[in-house]
Amino acid sequence: MRFKNYFFRSVSITGVPIFGLLIFTVAIFQFVVPIFNGTVADYITNLVPVLLLTVGAAIVIIGGSIDLSIGTVCGLSAGITMWTLASGLPAALSILLGVATGAFFGLLNGFLVTKLRVNDFIATLATLNISGGLLIVLSQATELYGAESEFFTSLVYGRFLGIPTSFFIAGGLILLMQFLLLKTILGRRIFAMGNSGAAANVAGINIRNVKLATFILSGTLAGCAGVLLASRLGGVQAFLGLGYEFTAIAGAVVGGVSLAGGRGSPAAALAGGLFIGTLTQGLQLIGVEPVFFGIVSGLALIIGVIFDQKIQDIGQLRSRFDSRVLAQPPRRQGDRG
Amino acid sequence: MANQRLNILVKKFLSDSILGVIVLLLLVGGVASFTIEVFFTLQNFTNFLSGSYFVMLLAMGMTVVLISGGIDLSIGAVMALCAGIVAKLALQGNSVPVVIFCALAVGAFVGCLNGLLVTVIGLPDFIATLAMSAFATGILFIWTRGTPIVGYMNETYKQLGGLAPIYRDITVPMVTAIVVAIALGALLKTTKFGVHLFSVGSNRLATRQSGINVSKIRILAYVISGICAALSGIIMAGRNTTVPPDLGAGYEVLAIAAALIGGASLMGGRGRILGAVLGEVILAMAINIINLLGVPSSYQKIFIGGILLLAVLVNQLVISLQKKVFSRDNDKK
Repeated sequence: MRFKNYFFRSVSITGVPIFGLLIFTVAIFQFVVPIFNGTVADYITNLVPVLLLTVGAAIVIIGGSIDLSIGTVCGLSAGITMWTLASGLPAALSILLGVATGAFFGLLNGFLVTKLRVNDFIATLATLNISGGLLIVLSQATELYGAESEFFTSLVYGRFLGIPTSFFIAGGLILLMQFLLLKTILGRRIFAMGNSGAAANVAGINIRNVKLATFILSGTLAGCAGVLLASRLGGVQAFLGLGYEFTAIAGAVVGGVSLAGGRGSPAAALAGGLFIGTLTQGLQLIGVEPVFFGIVSGLALIIGVIFDQKIQDIGQLRSRFDSRVLAQPPRRQGDRG
Repeated sequence: MANQRLNILVKKFLSDSILGVIVLLLLVGGVASFTIEVFFTLQNFTNFLSGSYFVMLLAMGMTVVLISGGIDLSIGAVMALCAGIVAKLALQGNSVPVVIFCALAVGAFVGCLNGLLVTVIGLPDFIATLAMSAFATGILFIWTRGTPIVGYMNETYKQLGGLAPIYRDITVPMVTAIVVAIALGALLKTTKFGVHLFSVGSNRLATRQSGINVSKIRILAYVISGICAALSGIIMAGRNTTVPPDLGAGYEVLAIAAALIGGASLMGGRGRILGAVLGEVILAMAINIINLLGVPSSYQKIFIGGILLLAVLVNQLVISLQKKVFSRDNDKK
C-alpha cells in the first residue's frame, strides 16, 4: 500500500514519467540493434547544444514567456566565435565573445519585452530574424571556418577521465540551472511569475526584473550552446541554428514544461530533449528513411505529451495530498483560463 | 444633425484599434513614395500585392484561431500539402472543380484534426499544431520523395495562381482574398459564432460556465484556418508552378506576424480580419521597399526583424495615445 502511494507520488513529479519513457526507448533500441555500445558518447556529444537550448527554452517558458530566438542566436554565437578565432583572437577571448553575444541577445529580448512591452512572441521573432540575418552577413552567405586552436576543439572532443569534456560543461550548466530554479529565491520567483504574473506582482515581486533574468539566462545558454556547436562542427554555415528553437521548445514541452508557465524544471526539459534526440538518432541508426522522420517526430511529440499528461493526472489523483506536488493545481493547457 | 453624426463617426474611427495599423501603413507608404520614385505606381502596387494574397489568406485564418485563444503553427505545412494535392490530382487529369474540392476537404480535415487534438485529447495548441505541421510536411516528402512536383500547369492553374488575369488587372487570388475577408469579417461581426469565438478567447472557463460549447467553437476555428490554408495552397500551386516538398516552411511565422501587427493577441479574445489584411500589406510593402532600395539580400532578414519591431511599437504608441486622449475626453463629460 505504502509502496503504491510512493509510486504514484513520484510519477506525478514533472519529468519522472518522461524519464521512464526515455529509458524504455533506449532499452528498445538497444534490444533491436545494439547501437548504443560504442557510439553513446558521440550521440550525446551531438545532442549537447540542443539540450542546452532546451533548458534555456524551459526557463523562459516556466517564467510564462516564450523565446523563439534561441536557435538563431545559438547559430550567431557559433559564427562570432568561429570568426574571431579565425581572425586570430585567443581562444578564451573568442569563447567569451560567443557567450557574450548570446547574453546580449537575451538582454535585448528582455529589454524589448519588459521595458518596451512588446509581445514576447513578436519580440523574439524579430530578434530571430535579426540574429539569423547577422549570421548571414557575417558569413557572407557561405561558411565560416579556420579555427586552429587545440583548446577550442578540445571543448567537445577532448576527454577527461575518458568522458568527453562537453559532458562536464553542459552537465555543469544544467545542474547549475536546476539549482538556480529550484533552490534559490530567483528560481521561486520565476515559478511564481509563471503561475500568475499578476499575483506575483501583488506579492511584491518585481516581475520585470525576473522576466529580464529569464531571457538573459536563456540567451546565455544559447551562447554557450553556440560555442560548443562551433567547436563540434569546426565550421559555421550561414543558416546554422534555424529551426533549433522548435526542437528545443518541443523537447521542453515533452519533458512536462507547461506552455502556460509555472510548471517544469531544467532536468525535466533535459529528459524531454534526450527523448526526442534518442528517437531521431535511433531511427537514423536503424535505417529508417529520412522522409519518414517528420511523421515519426510529430508522432513522438504527441505521444510524449499525452503520456506525460495522463500519467501525471493519474499520479495526482492517486497520491495523497502533498504540498510539494500540489503546489501547482493539476491543469492542462487545454483548460487554461 | 448630420454634422454631429459625422463627428461621432470620426471619433469612433479615431478610437478604433485599427487606427495604429493604418497610421503605420500611411507612414511607411508615405516615406517610401517620397524617397523612391517607382514605389507609388499602380504596377508596383499590383506587383507586391500579387505576392501577398496567399499569406493574407493564411493570416486571416490565423487571426480566427488567435481570437479563439489558440495558435496554428501547421498552416504553412497544410498550405504546402494542399498545393501538393492540387499538383498530384491535376497531373492525374482530374477536372479543376474536383481538384479544388479535394484540396479544400484536406484542409478542413487537417484543421478538424488539429481541433480534436487540442480539445478532446487536451494537447497544448502549440504542440498539437507543431506535430501536425511535421505530419503534413512528412506526407508531402513521402509523396514527392524530395523532388518537386512539376508539369501540371495549364491555363486554368495560371489563372488560379494569379499569373494570368481574369479581367485586366483583376486576378483570382485578389478576388479570393477579398471574398474571404468579407465573409470572415461578417462571420466575426454579425453571427452568434463570432461572438462566441471572442468569448472563448477572452475567458474559456466563464464561456463554458455560461453554457457555450467551447470545444465546438475551438474546433470550428481550426477548421476555418485549415480551409484558409487550403485556399492559399491552391493559389500557391498555380503561382509557384512547381511544388517542392519544403514549400510551406516559414509561412506560418509570416502569418502570425501579420495577424499580430493587425492587432490580434496571443492571449486570445482580440483580433480583426481587416487588421490581418493590412498587417500583411505592411509586411509585403516593407519587403518591396527593401528590394527597391537595392539592399543586398543578405541584409534583408535584419531589416525584416527591425520592421517587425517597429510595426508593433508604432501600433502600441498609437493605442496608448488613443487611450490618453479618449480617457481625458470621457472625464470631461
